[in-house]
Amino acid sequence: MKADRPKHIGARVQRFEDTRLLSGSARYIDDIRLPDMLHLSFVRADTAHANIVEIDTSALADLEYATWVFTGKDTAGLSMKAHQDYPEMQYSEQPLLAEGKVRFVGEPVAVVLAEDAYRAEDAAELVFVDYETLPVIGTMAQARDSSLPSLFDGWASNVIVQRQMKGGDLEAAKAAAAHVIKRTYSTQRQAGVPMECRGVVASYDHADRVLTVWSSTQMPHLVRTYISEELDLPESRIRVVAPDVGGGFGVKGQVFGDEVLVAWLAMKTGRPVKWIEDRREHLIASIHARDHQHTLEAYVSADGRLLGLKADITVDNGAYSTFPFTSAGEPGMVGKVLPGPYDFQAYEATFRAVATNKCAIGTYRGVARPSAVFSQERLMDDIAKELGMDPFDFRLKNIIRQFPYKNVLGFSYDEGSYAQSLEQMQALLAEDVTEAAASRSSSTKRVGVGIACFIEQTAHGTPDFTRRRVPIETGYIAARVEMSPDGEVTIDLGLQNHGQGLETTMAQVAADALGVNPENVYVRHGDTLTTPYSVGTWGSRGGALGGGAVHLASLKLAAKLKTIAAHLLQAKPDEIELANGNAYVRDAVQRFIPIRKLARAALRNVDQLPEGMQPGLEAEQRQDGPKDGTYSNAVHAAVVEIDIPTGKMKLRRFVVVEDCGTILNPLVVDGQVRGGVVQGIGSAMFEHFIYDAECQPLTTSFADYLMPLAPEIPNIEVHHIETPTPLTPLGAKGLGEGGAIGPAAAIANAVANALDVGVSCTPLNTNAIWKLSQHLRGAA
Amino acid sequence: MIDITLEVNGKTKTLSVEPRHLLADVLRQEFGLSGVHIGCAHGACGCCTVHLDETPRLSCLTFAAQCDGSEIRTVESIGGPTAEHALQQAFRSEHGLQCGYCTPGFIMTLMPFIEEMVEQKRLPDDDEIREAMSGNICRCTGYHGIVAAVRKAVNLGLGGGI
Repeated sequence: MKADRPKHIGARVQRFEDTRLLSGSARYIDDIRLPDMLHLSFVRADTAHANIVEIDTSALADLEYATWVFTGKDTAGLSMKAHQDYPEMQYSEQPLLAEGKVRFVGEPVAVVLAEDAYRAEDAAELVFVDYETLPVIGTMAQARDSSLPSLFDGWASNVIVQRQMKGGDLEAAKAAAAHVIKRTYSTQRQAGVPMECRGVVASYDHADRVLTVWSSTQMPHLVRTYISEELDLPESRIRVVAPDVGGGFGVKGQVFGDEVLVAWLAMKTGRPVKWIEDRREHLIASIHARDHQHTLEAYVSADGRLLGLKADITVDNGAYSTFPFTSAGEPGMVGKVLPGPYDFQAYEATFRAVATNKCAIGTYRGVARPSAVFSQERLMDDIAKELGMDPFDFRLKNIIRQFPYKNVLGFSYDEGSYAQSLEQMQALLAEDVTEAAASRSSSTKRVGVGIACFIEQTAHGTPDFTRRRVPIETGYIAARVEMSPDGEVTIDLGLQNHGQGLETTMAQVAADALGVNPENVYVRHGDTLTTPYSVGTWGSRGGALGGGAVHLASLKLAAKLKTIAAHLLQAKPDEIELANGNAYVRDAVQRFIPIRKLARAALRNVDQLPEGMQPGLEAEQRQDGPKDGTYSNAVHAAVVEIDIPTGKMKLRRFVVVEDCGTILNPLVVDGQVRGGVVQGIGSAMFEHFIYDAECQPLTTSFADYLMPLAPEIPNIEVHHIETPTPLTPLGAKGLGEGGAIGPAAAIANAVANALDVGVSCTPLNTNAIWKLSQHLRGAA
Repeated sequence: MIDITLEVNGKTKTLSVEPRHLLADVLRQEFGLSGVHIGCAHGACGCCTVHLDETPRLSCLTFAAQCDGSEIRTVESIGGPTAEHALQQAFRSEHGLQCGYCTPGFIMTLMPFIEEMVEQKRLPDDDEIREAMSGNICRCTGYHGIVAAVRKAVNLGLGGGI
């Protein structure tokens, strides 16, 4: 007789964290309230580029309530430094409060503290800043014009960094090509925009020199390290807590100057200090994303084989470099990922970040890949069209089919289902393709079908960051698994949960290894006091590396449990199985002992342990990613319907075929894919941060910055292929970001298909569709 | 300062507020209701939705001083600390939430819609469900799970389960 082992990995387990989120009892940053707390309000630059002539705070003295005011003179020398050690990168840093100069609208110039948040805001409005305005650098073209002044003293130009990546013989590819197809594509400035704004609370205990910082962040340990280095405090005396976090999407995956500043203010004033960002601040001065222009030149043989690709990439970075991914991260990522899922061996990319008087660019779900895939997949359709080939056939002709595959830059792709996912999508879309073709004869309604085929490097390990010389430096995730004397399990995890469901998925992973139920596993995260050092949740590594760490740590713990059980059951450790809360002798399930009794023996009745065994039941694992990461793949498809007389576009259908290796929990995986897709639809059709010629932001509220609402979105169809990777402990690949990567390309290809035009930029809002469909309305 | 009396989740309290104090702030700070979330403070995202005299209202666009004598319900009163209401249960089973920040606003917006559908004895189509939530923004789920949760809750109600 054998013990029946339930398998929790792969099961559609409902999320444990939902109870507190649904009942209103979750605790987000604004729910942190401390006695004697001061509230902070920022005075922010209202002009994009200026010298600060004077900051006059004298009006605050007349107020009938107490205020504290600080300017860049008080915080002189404290700054955000985010540099990549490339000789060609120009160094910049952002003072916590502007020193002498402001470089974008929204830059913090001063702070006012008061005992009431309303009053802090009132008082901040009384601070008068006299600016001497300077001409702005507002566009990529201006930034690349070396005759214009630089934003920072000592810079040679406003090109922050320009580098190259290449592989193979591009000249030979060009010489052999029957077709040379050159196009320029651009993707607009946008951002992750979580529903909860950012916020920081800090408190300092002068007697014990202990600083506690609560922040709505995805990376509490990195916040701790940065604060320690900047404020010269030992990390052992800093605790950073991310409470419940209301969405991150990469926006909260950087260390911000305000996190350091609020900590410094708590130390300076001796009182707890709280800052809650408002929506306008979030939209103009947290971080932005994308804002790319790519010029691609493809070399293609007469029979439709991609021979080589040349790329020129510019990112409008805004004024400052963000920590820890820096200004070099975004353009470098495009250069790295453009080869994509296609088999060709000649490539050269020149990529640069340029400085303008705008909010800095940082990470947002997909990080540069939505822009890269937009260009790559628009190009594939443009090539297919030029060659008179079907978009599926052209891709299938060039898709990588042999694994592991070494790409033109030397990156190794683990096994995926690239061709299979394309073929599956082709079958799913057959009727739509027919209908789209038939709609060509209509002068009022056109249907279009577009696809995007892509791969995503996920869960990349330390060597990938070392190679890039990026200040993140490492990519491992740590887990500590502990069993208490009652047999209950605690996981202290270096990830941070802001919606990914890891309080459930990680419990599923531990439950399988330990033979307990997921309900008996309590997952703690987001607090540097309880959790082992890790880089936090970003880069599609939670399931793959966090899950791997929990799995391996749990196996270590299980091994000890088996040794104790073997001793007590008079069997050998390798004969013991853990299941359903019991330790069984395999093939003799009547010989068993409850796991909670083993736990009690390990921690309290230690006289029952085998001779020489140390008491205790805990294990740790630090799981780094593979050198080149593990590659997830997907095909996205959009079916659009365009009303020609009005230019109104309806997204009729959106289909995903994706492969993220082993699925830990299908409920969560589907949710991540669908949520990502709808953010990608926002990128494709709605969202756009607009600046005027003076670099004044025009999109400063949700009335101007339009995100997808429910009526504009169809149900998202998701199909899975599971190709487990040998490169992570559970076979899981990353999947958190992939949903957001394909939609802009798929929707643009659908528009191009419907209207029979080239599409070179997003967002494809009603105005854009109106312009693109002009030729179909004739001269009327 | 203005003295007002509010009945919040069944408890009556008289307090002094400044005329400019938002209902959202007063519910959060004076009544300790952490389920009232502020997403934009300009009436565009629906995170702060509460019931004011049985009607969904944006508590970030409402001054507390306007509400003297009113009855207010927040998400805390719907299904208790373990979120037992059928709509909350459906949000859980259909994965209608991820980070949870917009969730109380969606629950408070959609409860009257579900009750209305059940009263009319009909299952709305997806377009109608999506329209009913068009004043709320969710950034995590892509709305798919929320639509499914509403469908499930109405179905349960039609079967006598709500």
